[in-house]
Amino acid sequence: MSLNPQTERQQAKKFLYGLCIFLAFMLGFPSLANLWFSFNDVTFHNLTGEGFAGFENYRKALGNPKLWEALGYSLRFGLVATIFEVGIALFMVFTLHPLLLRKPWLTAVLMLPIMVSPALMGIMYRLILNEFTGIIPGYLNLLGFHVTLMSRSMIQYTVIAIEVLQWTPFAFIILLTARQSLPYELEEAAAIDGAMGLKYSLRIVLPLISPAIYIVTFIRFIDSFRVFDHIFVLTGGGPGSRTTSISIYIYKLFFQRSELGESVALSFVLLVVSLTLLYFGLKLVVRKEQS
Amino acid sequence: MNKIKALINSLVAGLFATLTLLSISASANITVLAWPGGPAEEALRKVVDHYNKTSDSKAELLYFSRDNFFDKMLADVAAGSKDFDVMLTATYSLGKYAPFMTPINDMVNEEVLSTFSQGAIDTQTYQGTVYGLPTDLSLHFLYYREDLINELLSNSSWQATYAKISAEYLGKEMKPKAAEDWNWDDFIASALFFTRSINPDSPVPYGTVLQMKNLLFNIMIWQGTAASYGGDWRDADGNITIDSDAYRRGLKIYKDLFDAEATPADSLSYEYAEANAAFGSGKVAFYTQWSAAYADFIKPGEYPAIEGNFTITNQPAGDMGPKTHFHSLGLGINANSDKQDEARAFLSFLGTNEAMSMFLKEGGQPPVTDPIMNAHAGDRLDMLMMAEHTAKYGKVMNGGTEGGAFAIYANMAENFTAYWAGDMDVDTAIVNVTKFLEAEFAK
Repeated sequence: MSLNPQTERQQAKKFLYGLCIFLAFMLGFPSLANLWFSFNDVTFHNLTGEGFAGFENYRKALGNPKLWEALGYSLRFGLVATIFEVGIALFMVFTLHPLLLRKPWLTAVLMLPIMVSPALMGIMYRLILNEFTGIIPGYLNLLGFHVTLMSRSMIQYTVIAIEVLQWTPFAFIILLTARQSLPYELEEAAAIDGAMGLKYSLRIVLPLISPAIYIVTFIRFIDSFRVFDHIFVLTGGGPGSRTTSISIYIYKLFFQRSELGESVALSFVLLVVSLTLLYFGLKLVVRKEQS
Repeated sequence: MNKIKALINSLVAGLFATLTLLSISASANITVLAWPGGPAEEALRKVVDHYNKTSDSKAELLYFSRDNFFDKMLADVAAGSKDFDVMLTATYSLGKYAPFMTPINDMVNEEVLSTFSQGAIDTQTYQGTVYGLPTDLSLHFLYYREDLINELLSNSSWQATYAKISAEYLGKEMKPKAAEDWNWDDFIASALFFTRSINPDSPVPYGTVLQMKNLLFNIMIWQGTAASYGGDWRDADGNITIDSDAYRRGLKIYKDLFDAEATPADSLSYEYAEANAAFGSGKVAFYTQWSAAYADFIKPGEYPAIEGNFTITNQPAGDMGPKTHFHSLGLGINANSDKQDEARAFLSFLGTNEAMSMFLKEGGQPPVTDPIMNAHAGDRLDMLMMAEHTAKYGKVMNGGTEGGAFAIYANMAENFTAYWAGDMDVDTAIVNVTKFLEAEFAK
């Protein structure tokens, strides 16, 4: 039985009410509170605000050169990590898809890294990478490689590698689902037309799963852009501010410098920018999918 | 109908009785938010167990994780949390937390002063008001391998190499000295001598291990270098004095040792735990570390590579002699708490000779008076040295207990680690920190 479009829309709305109420409480209220904080002169000693500050907090936040440093680092980190995560995930989808069709339980094993909280991941790597107690430097030494993965020349690559190791499985599971949703008949038809192996993957599978690639790229970029936990545990944002992401910057502004108004204003600006990007990004994906 | 009425009445009465009992038991219990981990936690648990057995009021311990402990506590007290009645205090952040705490000047009576010295009470005092009782004193020692330093003092071949290395790196031929007589040049020369990449015959890979992570607590360790050359945050008139020879010399010590690879290449991510792991592995000759590490190192079987083979002494000297940062952690009363009397009762107990003697015997490091220390410290060399070192070498920076002290340490950590890593020159780092201090003290 099919419903007419008007009834379908009404039913969809009913389902959306629950989500909207949940979001209003969980995100809407804190966002409104933060908006109010950002226009007030708030301190830890007076969280209700000592007076209306107008756009002063926004002016201070955007005028701080440290912000642009942190923003630059987050953008670079987000871009590089996303490219690696999606690239490796795609490679894994193409190479492991036949195996995972026969042994689906292997997918669960591959998902293990995303089960670990990022902060715990940071603590684990503090132990694993330590020159004196860590197993990775130990094995590398045995093999004749004397590399210190947390040294000043390697630290930037190491924190990105940890992000990639943890979150590639997330990109992989989304892309794998998209790949597995393609009908088998398609493969048969392609084979009859002579498209097999790499040709089939690149010319047929890749375009068909491209909406999933766009979405996962988008999600991973936003997530990597706001990286905090493992970098904070491993380096504290240092040395200097070499690994200070925008989230670490805001955290330090809030807790260490007690600049509550400035940090909240900055968070709000980032929220608006992220939502705008997300809106247009998703619109683009939907348009591509429809066309 | 009467039966139903009786049933309702008995249910209501039962409900009231239960609520009354619950409220009594709730008011009799207080929650103590204390510093987690290490010997201090183990010792405090035993003291609290004893309190609960001997007192009408009961105390329950609450521990956050050590990471960002103070940020979490600040968020809680600023939001008016009553989840804990007794809370942690620290010398360097008293100014920040004072508005959220209950003054306890009236509790500092004769008994308390027979337990803690006035100097120790002063470390929990901000602008003349006492906010806590000091339960743990922290300062820094030089930890060193006795076998290695003794060999250096007696082996002529080692001494010749030592002289050669010191001439090459420090521009003067030096002779090894006993560790307690070291100045910072001796520290540097010895670190280079015991570094295998510089001296292939060194029995250990690294001379020292420096804690250089962008972390404010690491600056507390480092600032013993600057303080020993007379460095301070401000002079008596309140002028910022970071731009000084003392600070430059102190910063250069870490920079030179790091560049010479006398400390592990990943020292820029090291803090307390990593440095202990390095020294405890037996691959490092000496290092400066918090006093708390001693209690861990002497536990049988924990660090076999150095067991019975290391000792502690004062930090190396600068022109002003050896200096060490020191502070105390303590316990005070959350001003938001509804159980002020019970919290005061608990603190009164902590201020007794009995409670602190027990805390000391169980592994804590309380800054107690000499009679208690002599009676209970036993073979705890760290405890016996702490009071003496605090008095002789202890240094609290001018402004080090103000509300902005935490932010100042964090700013130093960011700028100085950037210099050590080669991301910033020393002049820029010093100018940045000076500007920050000016802004913080102007608030």
